[in-house]
Amino acid sequence: MLTTPVQSPEEAAGNATFDALLWALSRPGMARTLPEPSDSPIIDALIDRECKVHCNDPLLVPQILRSGANQIDIVGADHVFLAVLDDIAALDDVAKGSDLYPDDGATVVLQVTLDRGPRVQLSGPGVDGTLALRIGGLPAGFWQRRAALSRYPMGFDLFLRDGAQVVGIPRSTKVEVL
Amino acid sequence: MAYVATRGGERAIEQSERLFRSDMGRIDQARVAELRHALPYLVDRVMGEASLYDEDLAALALAQTGGELYEVVLLLRAWRTTQPRLSVAAPIQQKDLFTHRRISAAFKDIPGGQVLGPTLDYSHRILATDVLTGTPFVPNNVVPSARAAPAHQPSVSAWQAENELLDLPPVEPVQGNDIPDLTREPLLFPSKRAHTLQSLARAETGGVLALGYSAMRGYGQAHPTVNELRLAEAEVMVKHPRGTSFSAGRVKVSQAEVVSKKGEKLELGFAATLGWNEVKCIAAATLDLNTKGAAKGTATEEEFFLYHTEGVESSGFCIHFKLPHYVTFQSSLDAMRDAKAKKAAKCMEPAQ
Amino acid sequence: MSLKSLTKPWQPMSYGFLDASAKRELRRKMLKSVAVPGCQMPYASREVPMARGWGTGGLQVSLTLLNPQLRVKVIDQGADDSVNAASIRRFLALVSGAPVTLDTLGADLIQSRHRIPEEIMREDQILVLQVPNPEPLRSVQPNMSIARQMHADADYGRMWLQLYEQIVRSGRVMQGAGYPSLVNGRHVMTPSPIPRWDVPKLNMAKHLTILSAGREKRIFAVPPYTRVKPLVFDDVPYRVEDHGGLTCSRSTAKGFFMNEIPQVDGSSTYEVSDSSYGVKTIQKRDGDAVQFGETWYNDGEMTQ
Repeated sequence: MLTTPVQSPEEAAGNATFDALLWALSRPGMARTLPEPSDSPIIDALIDRECKVHCNDPLLVPQILRSGANQIDIVGADHVFLAVLDDIAALDDVAKGSDLYPDDGATVVLQVTLDRGPRVQLSGPGVDGTLALRIGGLPAGFWQRRAALSRYPMGFDLFLRDGAQVVGIPRSTKVEVL
Repeated sequence: MAYVATRGGERAIEQSERLFRSDMGRIDQARVAELRHALPYLVDRVMGEASLYDEDLAALALAQTGGELYEVVLLLRAWRTTQPRLSVAAPIQQKDLFTHRRISAAFKDIPGGQVLGPTLDYSHRILATDVLTGTPFVPNNVVPSARAAPAHQPSVSAWQAENELLDLPPVEPVQGNDIPDLTREPLLFPSKRAHTLQSLARAETGGVLALGYSAMRGYGQAHPTVNELRLAEAEVMVKHPRGTSFSAGRVKVSQAEVVSKKGEKLELGFAATLGWNEVKCIAAATLDLNTKGAAKGTATEEEFFLYHTEGVESSGFCIHFKLPHYVTFQSSLDAMRDAKAKKAAKCMEPAQ
Repeated sequence: MSLKSLTKPWQPMSYGFLDASAKRELRRKMLKSVAVPGCQMPYASREVPMARGWGTGGLQVSLTLLNPQLRVKVIDQGADDSVNAASIRRFLALVSGAPVTLDTLGADLIQSRHRIPEEIMREDQILVLQVPNPEPLRSVQPNMSIARQMHADADYGRMWLQLYEQIVRSGRVMQGAGYPSLVNGRHVMTPSPIPRWDVPKLNMAKHLTILSAGREKRIFAVPPYTRVKPLVFDDVPYRVEDHGGLTCSRSTAKGFFMNEIPQVDGSSTYEVSDSSYGVKTIQKRDGDAVQFGETWYNDGEMTQ
């Protein structure tokens, strides 16, 4: 009979990364820790040749190429990695899916500073009542633009990373700037 | 309800599996080789339904399951899941197939000729019972034709298109890795052309026949004429990472084109599968032919026949009803009893 | 680029059976299903070494989440000792080396068919429910494409009409298990064929629930702290099975969902459906030291 396969280090990292992402998205605003302080484990855990990726971080491009994913413009990308987000107009082009297929809405990974910056209050699925936290490093008007662009269940889902810490904000979360 | 019971459940399933396998006894290389050699059409059928071309694995699956066909296909599909996709083979045209058999019911003769090839179509179906009493059946030698038929044949539909009898389906520009793959993405409707053809190629033969037959009997709009039926071998052309193309071998394939008159043109239905399986291809092509304009919920509607001819899913769901359902049953009983009690209580009420 | 960089050492089976690309697809779809609670997300659904309809959807989710530290519990109809639960548990352990448990309190991940355990699940636990038919609208619309459009339009009129007709005809809603429920005020989902007894456990729960239908290739989720409301009319309240007053003939546990066991004399006895809870009750009676968790129901009444 078969012997139990051994978990490789890559497999273990993918598993741990996804655990962090799933937990973070299920509890918006509560940070989880990635195996290393970069977007790299997120790419390894989620991205392969079935994906269409937009990435403006030149350091990540070789890894995305290796994954076999298509690199495309932000329009039509299912995964968006933005090391720098200067202009919130970029959000207009992020895929929001449709009422028929909300899953076509993109997953967007941004770099932020957690525990510093403007205070926001979250509510919605995954939040026990309300939760307030500080999220810095996003351009002014970001949350207002997100709200204006989302028509639930259409929208996009955010992972906000600061070092190895990641916070998830799905489209179902209501974000108020305090 | 003690830990003993848990071990009991585990013991029961282990022993029941042993009981099943003891009927087949020892499985060795010789048995697998014999099955592969003796049952090529069965091997072909399961390779097609499994969408996994490997005669040895198919024969092994037959040996391991005692020929329980739904189990065979599931076993092969589950093995397929574990295999990485190394490369995508180049598309192949009909005219490039190494053709063994190719017939058309639409014309007495066709460019390239009718090639009968191997078939039981004109055999008399009589059991060779002598074999059972000790006289082996030895097939007669095949006498080769004086003039060999060409190995490569144009498609009949190509000739018809030249003569403006039908419009060939538009060539889809997608190539290689961009071709939608049913095993990597869900089937959604209206379905992508590639998904439809892949789904029919993997479909369970009996299921396709049942629904295809219903269309042939008149539950479809279009009556099929077999434009061309072909049994062939296809070259699997892949790219070496260095960029050169090479053949990784040949696989047996079958395909059918059926046509039907639609106004001043012919309409075309098409199906192909791995392995040689004529019934499935003709029935599947007939379903394809009937798809356009089919009413929702009819046997010729794409969503209806693609979902219901998926053998692994349909057989799995069918046998799942053997699993205990006593929680759901209990829940229904509760609603039924309560409704009954309510009704009884109402009858007891004095008339106003 | 070298040939070596494109390949990897051969192994007879991937860790957790599914290959890396199958897991990535499931991960992506799980995230989307959490992002839009109760909305069915299509996925490719690989064939696994079990028949479709036997928990292959739940199995793929569990296989994706498993690691050698994650402790797994598998139940079918509430029981750990059901043959198919035993089979799935054995497979999960074999392909991942994950430790297994029968105790709800000790599990990190619970894969279940048709039941939610009676002890309240914690924040750190994940419940994976096997789903035979993911479409709550199937009984009013068998065509999946049309049903999808109805979800897109939040067009649940026919669903309501069906419930209304049942009340008119039978004096009550006749839906047994799998009671249709509105999630986060937007999507109607089937909670899988759990009894009505279990549906309130999903409302504002502390744990994450993932529901997966392998044969039908749909995955959906109920994140923690998410509203799950059974579809009811204001003046006809939701009713769980009338089991609150029943006592388990084997363990004497009382006030939980029961299995009815017909007797030769025409009567019935009952045993608690959550077998782990029943076992613990017996162990306690026998003087063993066992730990019980808080239960969703107390004396047959939902506590929250």
